[in-house]
Amino acid sequence: MARIVVDPITRIEGHLRIEATVENGVITDAYSSGTMVRGFEKILKGRDPRDAWAFTERACGVCTTVHALASVRTVEDALGISVPKNAELIRNLMFCTQYVQDHVVHFYHLHALDWVDVVSALKADPNETSTIAKAISAWPKSSPAYFAAVQQRVKTFVESGQLGIFANGYWGHPAYKLPPAVNLLGVAHYLEALEWQKEIVKIHAIFGGKNPHPNYLVGGVPCSINLEEVNAINSERLNFVGSLIKGAIDMVEQVYLPDLLAVAGFYKDWAAVGGGLKNYLAYGDLPTRGYNQPDSFKFPRGAILDRNLDEIHEVNPRDSEEIKEYISHSWYKYSDGDDAGKHPWDGETEFNYTGPKPPYAHLNVDGKYSWLKTPRWKEHPMEVGPLARILVAYASGNDDVKEVVGEALAKLDVPVTAVFSTLGRTAARGLETRLVVRWMKEFYDDLIANIKAGDTRTFNDEKWDPNTWPATAEGVGMSEAPRGALAHWIRIKDKQIDNYQLVVPSTWNASPRDGMGQRSAYEEALIGTPVANVDQPLEILRTIHSFDPCIACAVHLYDPAGKHIRQVKVV
Amino acid sequence: MPLLVLGIGNVLMGDEGVGVHVVRALQEEALPEGVECLDGGTGSFLLLDPMQRAKKVILIDATIDGSPPGTVRRLTPRYSSDYPQTLTAHDIGLKDLLDSYYLLGSEPDVTLFAVSIPVIHEVRMELSPELEAQVPNIVKLVLQEIHSLRSSPSA
Repeated sequence: MARIVVDPITRIEGHLRIEATVENGVITDAYSSGTMVRGFEKILKGRDPRDAWAFTERACGVCTTVHALASVRTVEDALGISVPKNAELIRNLMFCTQYVQDHVVHFYHLHALDWVDVVSALKADPNETSTIAKAISAWPKSSPAYFAAVQQRVKTFVESGQLGIFANGYWGHPAYKLPPAVNLLGVAHYLEALEWQKEIVKIHAIFGGKNPHPNYLVGGVPCSINLEEVNAINSERLNFVGSLIKGAIDMVEQVYLPDLLAVAGFYKDWAAVGGGLKNYLAYGDLPTRGYNQPDSFKFPRGAILDRNLDEIHEVNPRDSEEIKEYISHSWYKYSDGDDAGKHPWDGETEFNYTGPKPPYAHLNVDGKYSWLKTPRWKEHPMEVGPLARILVAYASGNDDVKEVVGEALAKLDVPVTAVFSTLGRTAARGLETRLVVRWMKEFYDDLIANIKAGDTRTFNDEKWDPNTWPATAEGVGMSEAPRGALAHWIRIKDKQIDNYQLVVPSTWNASPRDGMGQRSAYEEALIGTPVANVDQPLEILRTIHSFDPCIACAVHLYDPAGKHIRQVKVV
Repeated sequence: MPLLVLGIGNVLMGDEGVGVHVVRALQEEALPEGVECLDGGTGSFLLLDPMQRAKKVILIDATIDGSPPGTVRRLTPRYSSDYPQTLTAHDIGLKDLLDSYYLLGSEPDVTLFAVSIPVIHEVRMELSPELEAQVPNIVKLVLQEIHSLRSSPSA
């Protein structure tokens, strides 16, 4: 029996540690730990609620917009503000931009190298890659000369031994199954996607004024629309947005989706691995008739229990009996005892580090072992993210989702149960990206039509003046961040923030066990995952990366010694 | 934009955000034409575009390297592996960003001012007094760098 420690687990710099027990080549138990202190809610107390978005937005460098959106919704909910139609559409365009950039970057830059062997790509015949590329897509960059040039470029980098991206892989691992020609295709698109993602995020700068960390505004969006005005959202800028959306549709339909399905075809065994929890939660998002009308959302709201797709449970984030955070295994203390569960409006953030002094060999997993709290919905552990969104939409009978899921299942020739897996999670992300780029075009067309009809309003100032606010107010702002259900809860007292709590997607997925011993999503998904070589636990990375871990907003500081254990340890 | 001055860091994490504080201070200074200051925040791959558009990049970032807080080192790293080990607690790390920057064929003409900071224990918006006192010195160092780059024939 071996206890494997993987720390950090993210290909990008991260602060997530996995300890897994391997018996006879299969994981039998697993522990997920956020190794940085959480608690930036503390700095919000006493501040102006209208400024909260600017602070929360800084919590993460990957999804820079999602906390800002959740934050302005939270304040609008507390104060009863509804935003103009244009603001809803522009927020949706910002949201879709974040999704498509984030999901493409995840697939190619954070996850693909778990499946694509870069070193094998060097042996590929570029003619063969070209033939495959032309067979699966109309994407123009597909000539043998193009792939030969990519191959030569990558060879130079691999030989230099200096590039972390290509130097750190488990190249040659027996779990890599793609033929060299497909590996080369993946590597070529890795580079193309890196260039492409720079373009799409320009939409954030256009509507949000700057990038990174674009501006948001309680009551609307911080840009004015005037088709003739140089400094406003004018015809030229809108045309540019339109061309970026077209580029995104091409990228997703001609590169991301075909690659995803081509790669998945070689890894169908991963449709039986990594399913984990059987419960899924989605808050839903992309409103089309106001945020108070969840039935108008493109992504519906709901919960699924025990994989029963015949029943969608209603979710109410205001109900103090539904969402609660526990700290039985987390380095915090609660004023009324550590076994209590707290609804976020009553949330407390008091540190209580009882773990070993770093660097350490193992965490004491019987006690507290993570800086993440453990959220539960009606006491159930829930998976959040693309798979949860797709399943909730599928079970809700959403036609768009049923269509793309059905097509993918048919193409891969797998049953619908294949989605409850590592492969399913990765596929769900690609499928929803395809929907999101289509919806993005709809929102864009609606925005143009609305402006042409004479409506240029982007801001509702009715409740901007704090003198119009009640003495106390509480609100909740939900969103579907790319990584899953995200919500902020606020209590406002005397025009200031009295309490502010975030429950972020990676807290749902990466949290430690609860007091009843129920594992959260990462821990559960690892059970049964095969590990061919404990020195190179590529399979652990596949399953954990399928969730797109982003711990930085779930936990916020270095571990107490500022140390990071970089190697994989086996004991 | 021939010269990009890029401050990296998370301002929610006290001294970790020193790079951003320095850039904000630089934005108050009179800078030569062709110099752009950017608050990179925790900007990750989003910074690729401005970095590629620049001919030269001056980076300012925090490092936890055990040196006395406020120590400033001027480095001209060739590869990401030349950068200080514990640089940054940002999300997609600076190293990933730099690797991608090189991978896309950009010439690595980067000067890094690595500012030593103490281990961070709490979330706060302000710099510690030691680092706060250093900001004007770091600003001066960066201004000198800007002027020497601007007056050299290659710039």
